[in-house]
Amino acid sequence: MKHVKTLSTRNLKNTMVTGGCGECQTSCQSACKTSCTVGNQSCENQK
Amino acid sequence: MIHRYKNNGYNIVLDVNSGSVHVVDDVTYDVLPLFEEGKGKEEIVDSLKAQYGVSDIEESVEEIQQLKADGVLFTEDIYQQYIKDFKKRKTVVKAMCLHIAHDCNLACKYCFAEEGEYHGRRALMSYEVGKKALDFLIENSGNRVNLEVDFFGGEPLMNWDVVKRLVEYGRSREEECNKKFRFTLTTNGVLLNDEIMEFANREMANVVLSLDGRKEVNDTMRPFRNGKGSYDLIVPKFQKFAKQREELGLSYYIRGTFTRDNLDFSEDIKHFADLGFRQMSIEPVVGQPEEPYAIREEDLPKIMEEYDKLAVELLKRKKEGRGVNFFHFMIDLEQGPCVAKRLSGCGSGTEYLAVTPWGDFYPCHQFVGNEEFLMGNVDQGITRTDLQDEFKLCNVYAKPKCRDCFARYYCSGGCAANAFQFHGSITDAYDIGCEMQKKRVECAIMMKAAEAEEEEIS
Repeated sequence: MKHVKTLSTRNLKNTMVTGGCGECQTSCQSACKTSCTVGNQSCENQK
Repeated sequence: MIHRYKNNGYNIVLDVNSGSVHVVDDVTYDVLPLFEEGKGKEEIVDSLKAQYGVSDIEESVEEIQQLKADGVLFTEDIYQQYIKDFKKRKTVVKAMCLHIAHDCNLACKYCFAEEGEYHGRRALMSYEVGKKALDFLIENSGNRVNLEVDFFGGEPLMNWDVVKRLVEYGRSREEECNKKFRFTLTTNGVLLNDEIMEFANREMANVVLSLDGRKEVNDTMRPFRNGKGSYDLIVPKFQKFAKQREELGLSYYIRGTFTRDNLDFSEDIKHFADLGFRQMSIEPVVGQPEEPYAIREEDLPKIMEEYDKLAVELLKRKKEGRGVNFFHFMIDLEQGPCVAKRLSGCGSGTEYLAVTPWGDFYPCHQFVGNEEFLMGNVDQGITRTDLQDEFKLCNVYAKPKCRDCFARYYCSGGCAANAFQFHGSITDAYDIGCEMQKKRVECAIMMKAAEAEEEEIS
């Protein structure tokens, strides 16, 4: 495309089928303890 | 729904519901809101032809139409029922914050735990209570394999022997129960020594090391009980510990708090980097508005500016081959969490519990000490199932403020404890925190755009 560059992303819609296993890290156990940050975590099944 | 913004010379468009990220030129940036209003190609051309060439506008509209057809632009939110059903599933507990010590050897001025005592008495967790907590976790974790246990306080090193024994106990049960413990430690470093580092390097998946940044910043907020600063004692130990963990390929975070006394906190991040640390986090303090150090709404413009400055600085350092990892700008676009994780909330009160030294359960460490939220204990299990149900229902769709927010897929509706502290309801949101979170997401995505461009050039 000439006007738009799309970054490589995981389409959230597709994760409805495979997601929800719950094996990933609980967000507050990472490095925060005072806020809720999930977008920066990785999926356990993608590793 | 889309979110478009300009940052560091990039025009960024986030397709909120698919998570797609597009970097667009100026004409497309201006076409998008008209397209979103439902205007047709001719109307859009009419509106913008004074600024851009007609063929450029037409091409731009066609590209937008194509992206929409591909399901990466203007996608609909189809997740509400899915999340509702997801949260109806049987609750399992998979993470615990063990308050190993309600006591502390520092007297940090902003401590939500009131110098470790959580509005109660000083106490250390006994091995027996900790063991019962681990048993509860194993028994209530269903088929989840990975179990997380954070040794927290107060200051957990004040009860180090119990930490070691609990790790040993947890490990001894892994095989028979088909579980894998991920132990983590959050410490202020005062009592850190070689023996503890060696043990932690063997057993702890992550360590969170508390330090606020520059010496004067740290020592103002993190003094000993006698008023003396803690920086000089702690920094050399943290440097040694961090170096060891880097060499072993293990995770650690230097974790700071910024207050309205150091709104120039990007300097503290630079200071961490200059001390040789590579993994770091610095978070806004959460305090009652009357506290002199609390972040106020009027501080937000300066904080936003600071995040922008920090993002540019971190990109520069990365380009120069001396990059560091700032926790709040980390974003995993390609292998990030599934939508169920993103929208179902942090898990407090359901899959995550805090345990006090005497074995009481609370939804998370920040609720400890508020009797209204006492959920049960290690002997009786969860007795307040009504509270558990309330937390279970707490997801992005239960929060009116999150409905139109682009960042909801990145913060999962924010911190329930903060929402309760400021509004008396876990389904509300702490507005100042939201503004900062949104900015951090914007910066994080911009950095990904910049890095993608950099890769393209090289």
